[in-house]
Amino acid sequence: MKTINKITSQKWFPMLVWLLAAAVIWELGAAVVDASKRTPENVLPHIWQIVGAAYSSRRVNSGQTAAQLVLASAGKTLSRAAVGFLIGTLSGFVLALIMKISKIVEKTIFPYLMIIQMIPILGMAPIILSITGDINTSRVVIAAILTFYPVATGTLAGFNSVEHEKYDLMYSYAANKFTVYTKVLIPYSIPYFFTGLKIAAPMAITASILVDTLQGDGGLGTLLSQSLKHAMSIYVFWLIVIFAAFVGIFSSKLMEIIEYLVLPHKRIRIFGKEAAVWAADAKGKKVFCGEFMRIRR
Amino acid sequence: MRRVHENTQVKAAETVTLPVLLGVLILILWETGILHKILHTDTFTLPLPDRILMIMADNAGKITANAGATVAVAVIGLTAGSVIGYGIAVLAALFRKWGTSGMGIVAACNAIPIVALAPVMTNWTKDVSRDASIRSMAAKILVVTIVSIANMSFNAFRGLTELKPFSEDLMTSYAATKRETLIRLRIPNSVPYIFTALRVAVPSSVISALVSEYFAEYIIGVGRQIRENIVLAQYSSAWAYIVAACLIGIILYGILMIVEGVVLKKHAKA
Amino acid sequence: MTNEKREIEIRIKDLGMLFKDSRGGDIAALTGVNLDIYKGEFVSLLGPSGCGKTTLLRLVADLLEPTEGSIHIGDRLPREVRLDQKLGMVFQSPVLFDWRTVKKNVELPLEVMKFEKNERSKIADSMLEMVGLTKFANHYPNQLSGGMQQRVNIARSLAVRPELLLMDEPFSALDEFTKEKLHEDLLRIWKKTNKTVIFVTHNIQEAVFLSDRVCVLSPHPGRLSGIVDIDLQRPREIGIKETARFNELVTKVRNTFDGGSL
Repeated sequence: MKTINKITSQKWFPMLVWLLAAAVIWELGAAVVDASKRTPENVLPHIWQIVGAAYSSRRVNSGQTAAQLVLASAGKTLSRAAVGFLIGTLSGFVLALIMKISKIVEKTIFPYLMIIQMIPILGMAPIILSITGDINTSRVVIAAILTFYPVATGTLAGFNSVEHEKYDLMYSYAANKFTVYTKVLIPYSIPYFFTGLKIAAPMAITASILVDTLQGDGGLGTLLSQSLKHAMSIYVFWLIVIFAAFVGIFSSKLMEIIEYLVLPHKRIRIFGKEAAVWAADAKGKKVFCGEFMRIRR
Repeated sequence: MRRVHENTQVKAAETVTLPVLLGVLILILWETGILHKILHTDTFTLPLPDRILMIMADNAGKITANAGATVAVAVIGLTAGSVIGYGIAVLAALFRKWGTSGMGIVAACNAIPIVALAPVMTNWTKDVSRDASIRSMAAKILVVTIVSIANMSFNAFRGLTELKPFSEDLMTSYAATKRETLIRLRIPNSVPYIFTALRVAVPSSVISALVSEYFAEYIIGVGRQIRENIVLAQYSSAWAYIVAACLIGIILYGILMIVEGVVLKKHAKA
Repeated sequence: MTNEKREIEIRIKDLGMLFKDSRGGDIAALTGVNLDIYKGEFVSLLGPSGCGKTTLLRLVADLLEPTEGSIHIGDRLPREVRLDQKLGMVFQSPVLFDWRTVKKNVELPLEVMKFEKNERSKIADSMLEMVGLTKFANHYPNQLSGGMQQRVNIARSLAVRPELLLMDEPFSALDEFTKEKLHEDLLRIWKKTNKTVIFVTHNIQEAVFLSDRVCVLSPHPGRLSGIVDIDLQRPREIGIKETARFNELVTKVRNTFDGGSL
């Protein structure tokens, strides 16, 4: 009984239950679909069927298994997404910097930034493809634009979050503008920068896949449409869907990990002016114990 | 840092005139063809503004019909998703132990690419109706709803649980029930967070609507028309729809900002 | 005060509070606290940060459960008093709801306790008058200064006519001028309403000025080092801070404190 209690009170227990519940619901759905459709794999296959397809060594097209096919095309799609992502990140950061340095630039550009958020860039993928003419360039361009907005606005918010006392402090050291930027503004903006990255990463991937669907040349998206039209096994489609979902989630987590590596200081939760410290009372319930900030560690 | 010697009126005027100047500049570059040279493209792929406007005027009826379909999908999905999402957040806030990890999963779902979701939804709704247009609508609305749920529940959860320090203690000292704390404290506190969610959800529901149109059976909707027209190399029409898409995005967002301004007057920081 | 037999309101016996820090080790926030508080008394809990005074207050308020010992308020446990909605607590920060007007903030506990609309309004008005903020009844908290917000905080805590008023360093974030004014206001309100007050602070002068008795707490582990009777006449005016007796008492209190860095 005690071990059961011990397990259920672990932090990861609720998450585990959620995942199991999700799997159960999926399987139930698949069973229902199985009973009522001619080609159930088209609608909702069983989890084990998808897993089976991933491990099967049956050649799906000329010389590749399903898994190999997905991974190969994933490589193409993701590498281009990464390029676009990097370009977008860099230009977003630089633009935010310029906007902070020059009020004029900020005022001119800001409404256009808002417009970029409001208009559905992804929906304009086809035209960007036409303008650039080359699928790789267009892929990079779209990923760059999609990344650019969250990074630019996030970083700018980070710059603007610096309280004026920090400026006064630097002023009292007769620090020049460059020093202020490198020692205060940029470090302060890093958490916000990463928030922007966490949003942008999955979007860059989505963009890359979408562009694939417009013009076949071996990316995940092409594979997706081909599989949908039954040019090859429908399991390829499902593998891609699952893979895309995981990669999207993973890319966001990856940004979190990078952020943790860049900012190793553990963040104490800061409420307003005081740092609240949490401890556990005898029953293990989390309580606020206020004053005990100077606990020896 | 900045010397405040500039006239405040001039500064206020700058906020409007500068962007407008930039816009006018771009339009001039466009109309005169210089833009085309910069982008290495031609007036066929990137028609001149007056030609686009002409096409839009000629096809106003068709464009409006398609735009209507897109807007309907976006708005219905957004509303349904936001309401459901908020409900989920409330449940998660009430059952905190399960809610926090549940929210972790929802946050992860935020990152699932729409391109993975849209075809799946189209498949699922195959039997909803015999009418292809209704099936497509259902599929598209489902996609937008799911995306909106993920967005709203995450932000609403923060709004319901990130409270000023001691607020919960205050309610405890009144021996307030969980329900009372929910109604008097958490829900009003979450209102600004709802708008944070909507600021992202409104544009993203338009995008999701457009993308899901690509995968839908029935050929309708601004996004789909962009694609179809480009495939047929009818660039002017395509651009007409692009302009329509932009207008949809801008107008919906504008409505959001107005609503936000009205509702959040109380929450304004002094 | 005099040595007449007075009714004991709060009995704290052998109280101890053990926390577990993030590594699982034990922190003795409080050990062996024995304290009797009389009805209608103004008692301060004084000490530097980290000595357990806030913890002690929270134990009385039933926001924490003690690991050893007991607290009785009258013949009831803190939990019963809290569930009976007889607790008035003033926190360090004003904790006002941004989306409610000042008056509606004061009405909050009354709403929770299901008072009727007209009565709520009347009580809120009289509370605001007591703290001198009638003019600001329809303002929003963001429009008030820190001192004013704390006054709303106090008004709100008195609205339900609690048996016990628990105050956790309510004035520590304010400037000296505002603080002095609020001290006078607090004493005036206390005299009028006759409540038992437990006041937590780290300021020796504040404690001596306001209280009937000062309980000095020292850290590592948190314990009650001593209690100093403040036999200054009431009503107390600011001028009393210049007198010899006042400063003797301040020194006495300071010397009662034992150990640990400030």
